[in-house]
Amino acid sequence: MDNSEFGRFSDPALLILACLAGGEKHGYAMMEDIQATAGVRLGPGTLYGALSRLEQYGLIEALPADERRRPYRLTAQGTAFLRQYLTSLEKFVSLSLKRLEA
Amino acid sequence: MNAAKVRLWLVRLYPQEWRDRYAPEFDILLEQCLHSPLDVVDVFLGAVDAHLQLLNGDKVNWRTLNMVNKLRTTLLIVFTAYIGFIIAGFSLVGLADDSPMLPLMKTNHTLAFSWTMIQVGAVVALLAVVIGGLPLALMVVRRAWMTNRRRLGLLLVPVFSILALMLYVGFIFLVGTSSIQIAGVFPVVPSGNFPPGNRLMLAGLMLVFILGATASALAVWKIVSSIDPEQETLHITGRRLTVRPYTFALVPAVITTVSMLVMLVATLTWGWMAFSALPQVYAGNYGPWQTNTQVWFYSIVILMILCTLAGFFGLARSRSARIGT
Repeated sequence: MDNSEFGRFSDPALLILACLAGGEKHGYAMMEDIQATAGVRLGPGTLYGALSRLEQYGLIEALPADERRRPYRLTAQGTAFLRQYLTSLEKFVSLSLKRLEA
Repeated sequence: MNAAKVRLWLVRLYPQEWRDRYAPEFDILLEQCLHSPLDVVDVFLGAVDAHLQLLNGDKVNWRTLNMVNKLRTTLLIVFTAYIGFIIAGFSLVGLADDSPMLPLMKTNHTLAFSWTMIQVGAVVALLAVVIGGLPLALMVVRRAWMTNRRRLGLLLVPVFSILALMLYVGFIFLVGTSSIQIAGVFPVVPSGNFPPGNRLMLAGLMLVFILGATASALAVWKIVSSIDPEQETLHITGRRLTVRPYTFALVPAVITTVSMLVMLVATLTWGWMAFSALPQVYAGNYGPWQTNTQVWFYSIVILMILCTLAGFFGLARSRSARIGT
């Protein structure tokens, strides 16, 4: 799967995946976590647009609701996707830094 | 316009399919984070995006994404398969009762054993359905009572189906004992040759049973799907108890499906032995409406196979819906 499939939600999707890598969270907890760690505030429409796509692609899954809040977690597929993406990003960052230093 | 109405209006911007899946959790998120006009614009754009996904023909089925929905579908598939299996089992009993196979079972112990296995499987499956379905039924009633009492009317369908069956059996009994005589419609039936001896009344009994079973299964599908009692938090004597009826019913669903498989194998064994011993019955017309025995028996077996396969198919769906594992 290519990250571009998420369209305008590609960055939010990655932020959500990275956020859920730390454990299961519901919508509001994700918003707070992403704002705290990445400094990005996702709007509610953007968050759920990305969430629905991630769920559709099987990268995350919903857990039983706690009261009315529904937590989500990464699936095995989602973990593999995030790892692969971050590894390629790491290589890109490393290569770019080397070029800057050269 | 108060905040709750604004949220309701915003959620209604999304497609129905999306709302069926996400509305409750999205509403609580809006309750916590809808602070500025930019958030309203963001929700509006999200709703447009959801509509565009549908217009683009994306393979989106939001309701089936939720693994809780998958679990619910699993249970409803197994329940429907069980209802279908009951119809097949009922037909098998009708076939055996009206044939020389019944006296043969008194002397042939292996044949009797396979018949007993069918009965044991039926009892185990029934118990599993009752145990697994009871918390679900209670939760459906509780939630329907609190939210929309008109939905409770759907639960009357199984009740009326059972009542209709009981009334019909009572009617058969009264006709059989000559308490009721309808000239030209139901001739007086000699005792000992009733009800199996009266094909018309037996067919009526099967019709009432099949219609009642089908209507009950549809009513259960409808009410469980519309109320979706995923979980309930009860406060009993100061203690908080969370009940998850879908998860609870999963093990009974496995037991029901395995019982169906056991009954299927026992039916095949029973049929093979019975028809080997009594080939004249196999070639005869002991089915309802005097249909051929083998055609009727194979129809029963095919229905049992289909129901058992449906049960296992339903369980396979639940593999991706395991919660908390």
